[in-house]
Amino acid sequence: MAAVAQTSKLGKVLWPVLAWTIALIFFFPIFWLVFTSFKTDADAVKPEHLFFFTPTLENYTNMTENYDYWRFAINSVITSTFATGFALIVGVPAAYAMAFDPSRHTKDILVWMLSTKMLPAAAVLYPMTFLTKNVLGLFDTHFLIIVVLCLINLPIVIWMLFTYFKEIPKDIIEAGKMDGVSTWGEIKDILIPLAWGGIASTALLTFIFCWNEAYWTVRLTTIDAATLSKLIEGNRAPEGLFFGRLSAVSTAAVGPIVVLGWFCQKQLVQGLTFGAVK
Amino acid sequence: MANRTLPRLLQTPAVVFLLIWMLVPLGMTLYFSFIRYVLINLRRPEWATPSLSNWRGFGNYKYVLEAKDFWMAIQNSVLIVSSILILTVILGLMIAVLVNRTFPGRGIVRVLLISPFFVMPAVNAVLWINMILDPVLGLNGLAVTGLNEVLAGLRDFPVIGGFFSMWPEIKPMSFRASQTSAYAVIMMVTWQWTPFAVLIFMTSLQSEDESQKEAAMLDGANAWSQFINLTVPHLARPIAIVVMIQSIFHLSLYAEIEIVSRGNGNKNLPYLIGEFTSNNIGAASATGIFAVILANVVAIFLLRMVGKSLMD
Repeated sequence: MAAVAQTSKLGKVLWPVLAWTIALIFFFPIFWLVFTSFKTDADAVKPEHLFFFTPTLENYTNMTENYDYWRFAINSVITSTFATGFALIVGVPAAYAMAFDPSRHTKDILVWMLSTKMLPAAAVLYPMTFLTKNVLGLFDTHFLIIVVLCLINLPIVIWMLFTYFKEIPKDIIEAGKMDGVSTWGEIKDILIPLAWGGIASTALLTFIFCWNEAYWTVRLTTIDAATLSKLIEGNRAPEGLFFGRLSAVSTAAVGPIVVLGWFCQKQLVQGLTFGAVK
Repeated sequence: MANRTLPRLLQTPAVVFLLIWMLVPLGMTLYFSFIRYVLINLRRPEWATPSLSNWRGFGNYKYVLEAKDFWMAIQNSVLIVSSILILTVILGLMIAVLVNRTFPGRGIVRVLLISPFFVMPAVNAVLWINMILDPVLGLNGLAVTGLNEVLAGLRDFPVIGGFFSMWPEIKPMSFRASQTSAYAVIMMVTWQWTPFAVLIFMTSLQSEDESQKEAAMLDGANAWSQFINLTVPHLARPIAIVVMIQSIFHLSLYAEIEIVSRGNGNKNLPYLIGEFTSNNIGAASATGIFAVILANVVAIFLLRMVGKSLMD
């Protein structure tokens, strides 16, 4: 018995130390990115200034000159916001119908929707470029990026909403029906207030996915609708001459989203596992 | 039974949009994969426009199957995806068990751990390949230089100096060569996706039946046998889901490969398709169809594994 008590005492100290160490190791690259963003480009590559240097904000104040940051940031905000909005507008009614009025085919439709996510985007790279450039004339427009982001996230939006809606007792919706409320009224006055939390976290997660998307936003834009992914991808700077400024613009690109992510950890699990892990 | 028309109508936009989104481009890829379609060919300018008169049958598929790059890309795709899967599941399990206890600052630990998952792929790649892994200017290079300096200092010592002078100078590893850049990609994606595995395993661990564990403890089962006999079976479903979702994402890994290994031979299928697309559309499309087939094989296999549990 004594031995057990002893190990658990040791465990009491070791356990948190180990957990903290691993957490710090995982966070270190992000810390290093933010840390480097306060160094000048010259300091950033000097070993003697690895830890000790005079912090500067010049990388942030020059972000507009160096990278035209705001132009890309605004594009990211516009495309992600509208894509999320449209995905919800299309997704809420669909998920409502699937959750409260399922037919024989509902399950098949849901699985099929998920399977569209499994198609590798690269397989349709040329047709998409061809269609948007030569047929529709939408290449490098906000509209195109919004539509594409909306469509690639729609399956996950519907799945997430479906799992949230399924947890609402059917009787409440049925009671509304008895009272002669219209379908629109059911959605607006009963469903949305009840499922508000679920809808909000779906929106948050979709926004994060849109923001971080890095295939279509890179391949279907040049300048006008280019997002932050495109900006960073175009400034990979292999020679390391601009570590300072590159870190600053990267920090600005991921900072808000990482913070947003902290608030929806729990929803992330439900969203990405389609409610299968609780 | 209430009127069925309305619910169907509500689903229609979603289904129609997704159907168009899936079928139109995929149909075009299929068509292009059977014709000769080369954007710039001075001797045969008629190949520059898609037309049925340029029919090539399975010629593009044959061409792709005989290309060395294709097999390398397949091999690389499999290497990268399977390494990431194995690493994230093992690390994820270990860390989830570690963080599942209560200890001071657990909330902060969770926040720190999950953060990498929200970093956009382009930033992830730029950060790792430049600031961390660069053999001269990155932390990798600086650490090796520092180590060499320490070694050089030790060589000057009497007696033990003789021992250290037998050690060779350490050379930093470059992660931009074709094989090592695959390791770099594996490393950075594992860093990004381990938190995801941790989060899911942790959520699942919290629903584990504690009374079973207590019973096992009373029966004298040690921590390890509890973990193997109770916790791992409980985690079977979350593990399957982690594997499924990551396979979906990593089979189409692109930004990391593009940034880390542009032109150095470390290709995966999406990257190879991108290369073909600059000129040989027929080959790009045939490769695309192979990628779709590969994804479907994986998807069918995985959906079989977890599909039922998704629906309950």
